Amino acid sequence: MWGLSAVSEEDRLDRVQTLKVLRRAYSMARSQRRLILSSLAFVLVGTLVTLAGPTLVRFAIDNGIKVKDGSALNRVVVLYVIVTVIGYISGRLQYITINRAGEGFLRELRINVFDKLQKQSMSYFDREKAGVLVSRMTADIESMAELIQFGLLQFVSAFLLLCLATILLFVMSWQLSLVALLVLPVLIIASIRFQRTSNHAYLDVREKVGNNLSTLQEGITGVRVIQAYGQETNRSERFRQSNRALFDSHMYSVKISTWYFGLVEFAGIAATGAIIGFGGWLVHRGSVSIGTVTAFVLLLANLFDPVQQLSQLYNTVQSSTAALHKLIGIIDAVPDVAEVDEPTQLPERGAIVVDNVTFGYAGSERPALSDVSISVADGERLALVGPTGAGKSTLAKLMARLYDPSTVNGIAGSVSFGGVDLRLASMADLRRRIIVVPQEGFCFGGTIRENIRIARPEATDAEVEQALQSIGALHRFTDFAEGLETEVRERGSRLSAGERQLIALARAALVDPAVLVLDEATSNLDPGTEAVVEHALETLMTGRTVIVVAHRLTTVRRADRIGVIDHGSLVELGSHDELVALGGRYAALADAWQRSQPSH
Amino acid sequence: MTVTSETQQDDTRQGWRLLRLALGQQRGGLAIGVVVGLFWAVGKVSVPQLTKMGIDRGIEGSGNLFFWAGLVVAAGVIAGLFTAMRRWYAFRESRWIETRLREQIFSHLLKLHVGYHDKMQTGQLMSRASSDLQQLQAFVVMIPITLSNLAMLIAVVALLIVSQPMLAMFALAPLPIVNVMASRFSRQIHPAVLAVQQEQAQLATVVEESVSGVRVIKGFGAEQVQARKLKTEADDIWNVSLVAAKIRSKFLPALDLLPSIGLIAVLGIGGHRVINGQMTVGDLVKFNAYITMLIWPLRNLAMTVALAQRASVALIRVDEVLSTPSLVIDPLSPTSLPTPTDDRPVGEVIFDDTVFAYEGASPIINHFSVTIQPGQAIALVGATGSGKSTVVRLLTRFHDVQQGSIRLDGIDVRQLTLNDLRTAVGIVFEETFLFHDSVADNIAFSRPDATAEVIERAARLAGAHDFIMELPDGYQTILGERGYSLSGGQRQRIAIARAIVSDPRVLVLDDATSAVDPSKEHEIREAMATVMKGRTTIVIAHRPGTIALADTVILLDEGRAVAVGTHEGLLASNERYRQVLAAWEVRESDGDDDEVTH
Repeated sequence: MWGLSAVSEEDRLDRVQTLKVLRRAYSMARSQRRLILSSLAFVLVGTLVTLAGPTLVRFAIDNGIKVKDGSALNRVVVLYVIVTVIGYISGRLQYITINRAGEGFLRELRINVFDKLQKQSMSYFDREKAGVLVSRMTADIESMAELIQFGLLQFVSAFLLLCLATILLFVMSWQLSLVALLVLPVLIIASIRFQRTSNHAYLDVREKVGNNLSTLQEGITGVRVIQAYGQETNRSERFRQSNRALFDSHMYSVKISTWYFGLVEFAGIAATGAIIGFGGWLVHRGSVSIGTVTAFVLLLANLFDPVQQLSQLYNTVQSSTAALHKLIGIIDAVPDVAEVDEPTQLPERGAIVVDNVTFGYAGSERPALSDVSISVADGERLALVGPTGAGKSTLAKLMARLYDPSTVNGIAGSVSFGGVDLRLASMADLRRRIIVVPQEGFCFGGTIRENIRIARPEATDAEVEQALQSIGALHRFTDFAEGLETEVRERGSRLSAGERQLIALARAALVDPAVLVLDEATSNLDPGTEAVVEHALETLMTGRTVIVVAHRLTTVRRADRIGVIDHGSLVELGSHDELVALGGRYAALADAWQRSQPSH
Repeated sequence: MTVTSETQQDDTRQGWRLLRLALGQQRGGLAIGVVVGLFWAVGKVSVPQLTKMGIDRGIEGSGNLFFWAGLVVAAGVIAGLFTAMRRWYAFRESRWIETRLREQIFSHLLKLHVGYHDKMQTGQLMSRASSDLQQLQAFVVMIPITLSNLAMLIAVVALLIVSQPMLAMFALAPLPIVNVMASRFSRQIHPAVLAVQQEQAQLATVVEESVSGVRVIKGFGAEQVQARKLKTEADDIWNVSLVAAKIRSKFLPALDLLPSIGLIAVLGIGGHRVINGQMTVGDLVKFNAYITMLIWPLRNLAMTVALAQRASVALIRVDEVLSTPSLVIDPLSPTSLPTPTDDRPVGEVIFDDTVFAYEGASPIINHFSVTIQPGQAIALVGATGSGKSTVVRLLTRFHDVQQGSIRLDGIDVRQLTLNDLRTAVGIVFEETFLFHDSVADNIAFSRPDATAEVIERAARLAGAHDFIMELPDGYQTILGERGYSLSGGQRQRIAIARAIVSDPRVLVLDDATSAVDPSKEHEIREAMATVMKGRTTIVIAHRPGTIALADTVILLDEGRAVAVGTHEGLLASNERYRQVLAAWEVRESDGDDDEVTH
């Protein structure tokens, strides 16, 4: 059942790492320790009950049946009943405790990993692939859930059973034990070999499944091109090839398991035969009792099943520790934009001063910004322009402390608001003063109201409506059948692009910050909405310090000053008229913009 | 209520019928699997009986001990051999059903009309061909296993009743409860497991939106909001997981307990019978072994019933796809296109009073008529939703017109085989779909047998040869979602090369330059002009430079050709034409993207 969990070579941890991960897991599960210990106790009880059955049968045969002592037999039967009931109760408790412990552990893990992820700075998210981060929180944690729900219990109990059964057999008869254990090494070697080859086979199946699904998807999404060029038959043939490759891969893994399971079945029965033969001979010589031979026959299963289970669980345990290892990586990563312990209070308003800032993205050789200094007065409107990749967005983000300035030769520049270095302020305080409104108008699942309230969770309903009203967009949403309670659906697909932008602006209005950092939208709106968004934006900007990454001439014209960024440097700074008079880069850019405007 | 339950019943019946059909096609292999399984059952059932003989005759009596021990080992060989074979056949047949049906679904999907694909979500169709078939496979693999288990069960029960009727009654009494409980268990655990998966999916959504919406979250310092959402989801998972755990804890230990009751009965009742001389120690061991042997088959039986139900439901969904007929099919007696001769050039396209509406919508093509002469290039211009792309989709029979007709070289497109029609009409789509194949294969898409020279010539004509040579493996570079990614302009050039290889008599360029940076558009335009030479061409465009490629411009508005003329002529005389072009221009006046290119 859990055979399909396979672990690839690059994910496989060595013994030292595995131990480290397991120790860490144990310390992470501290709050569950009591539950874990009690579930282990129940596992132990369960194992003892399993072994008690054959032992009791042996006692009943030797001390009751063979000596024709009916009352001794009855006493054993009563004991058997008691033991069985204990087994049942401890079995139930075992499931409950292990699942409570496991699910509690996973719950904490989910919350912790997510919190750690969110503490990471913007540059972390620029660096890591979104898909990978999501799969950490989903696939990796779920692979551990599988271990907890099925594997962990079996692993411990199989191990206990194997050890205790072996001891019990030796206590009853060492000679017969040797016979039983003759078969065991064959089984163990076969199991280890099976585990190794099946791991490869499963990895191959997984790869082929992935390929086949991609080919399938390609066919479905590309169906229009395929039909347009009459390639249906050809593509079906291609799919058949990948489908057959998957079939072959499946059959290869079946082939491996087929001989293994056949061997296991044979070994179990052959061992029974050997016990009967050799045990009978020992009975004839008087060295063991008939009850012992019976107990051995009944106990054999308890010796064989654990070996099989352990070998199959091995892969599950490996892939789970590999997953946990990756999660620990996230938990241990130190966020590069961290908060100070004793933050300084930011003033209500003030100038933003960028002082000698250099910034480079991790893994990129050339800094995105170098030695930039600029100051924006309280209430001033600054537009940043420049070619794609010049660094204008980066500068805007630094002003809002989405990134911290890089340290070059031991010196890092600074960004301050009202004379306080942003690194000394608390994030909560900072986000009441300086807000970044991203261009795309991203929406989360939930209602319109919830989407706006994300900016200030404690805001009342009236305040949310007030925020919409202040940018003149309230009616646009209250006109919906469900008003502000309208579900925006995945990614806000229920709303138009313009409506999503209005929500983004309403969020900012709700916070009512001193400084707005805007990344101007490049997407196109229909002319009607465009005007509403323009108006909302203008209202929002009034009376605030604004730093806007501009893409349109109209926006730039409305700015007090314009900063031209090129190759990570501030190359020109001044008002529109000044810069046009200067005849430099801005003048050229403004000219190009002018020409590309639709002629009326 | 009655109506629903009746349709449900119909569905159930339909599901079983389909299941029978699917299995019937593989009865040979499945029959071998069952027969092999019966041999296994024989070996398996004989072991406790032989063990009893060994104990009674070999150990307690004076028979040949090693003879009986040897027979047990021999039974082991039989059981081991045939369990392996049973497994092999069970998996082979079940995987084969899955594989076969998946190919059927795939080729059927490729033949289904485009209207069907417009309506269906990719994910849904994917799960028909993946998870639904897996459900079927999970059931089919159990068929030989369950049937031979059943045979073993019957044999064991018969053996026990014949040898010790009284004891058998008591020992077997708890076992039917195992079966009942196991089926109740799988009925209850299935929805619980689904609930867990659903909650996991919801958590995944929160994580996913937090990662892709990270700019908003960081911009507003909204980490706490998302953290609270996540906590809610984590709590939900915790809750439903514990519900599932509770169901497991209710059933699984009880399922272990029940056979023990049988074993205790054997020891208690059987023990006294041995003391009284009514049975032997060997019988005791035999009973013990048989009862242990029956536990798994009984649990399995219940599981198989549940699997069969799920499989039949899955099969209904699969059948929905397979039984959907394609609405666009070849005519019964197709006509072929006239072959080109010197005095009669080909490529004449006539739209004759065509009307078309998408399902449930008002007509998007409304008495559209136009005649395109062989070799003529026309541009279709219109606002969004004016029906430009639909015109093209009708020409290639992605949809069929509801009124009027479309004729290619005098023949109604519905009189041609789809293959002939689509070979004659080549489209370069707005967005180029690249397959996970080499560049060469992508270019030679319409003619997989095209030689390297043909491919390279097409690439040169499309202006793609130079950048292809700079790719890591040149023409052998693998493209597609998992392969090397190309820029919009490069993709478009591959698409044009693809059209050149197919050498159609009518070429359609459906907004083929819209994905291209305006500053690079002229390069693509040159490539397009090369392909268009001497060929009937329909260009859907809104940039003046691209429109200029055509001799005639048709202005489309609300599904009608409202004006025909040259670009300059319309610009001068037609207000609507100017409006449409201006609207497009506004949309494109901006081209600068966000940065962070590192």
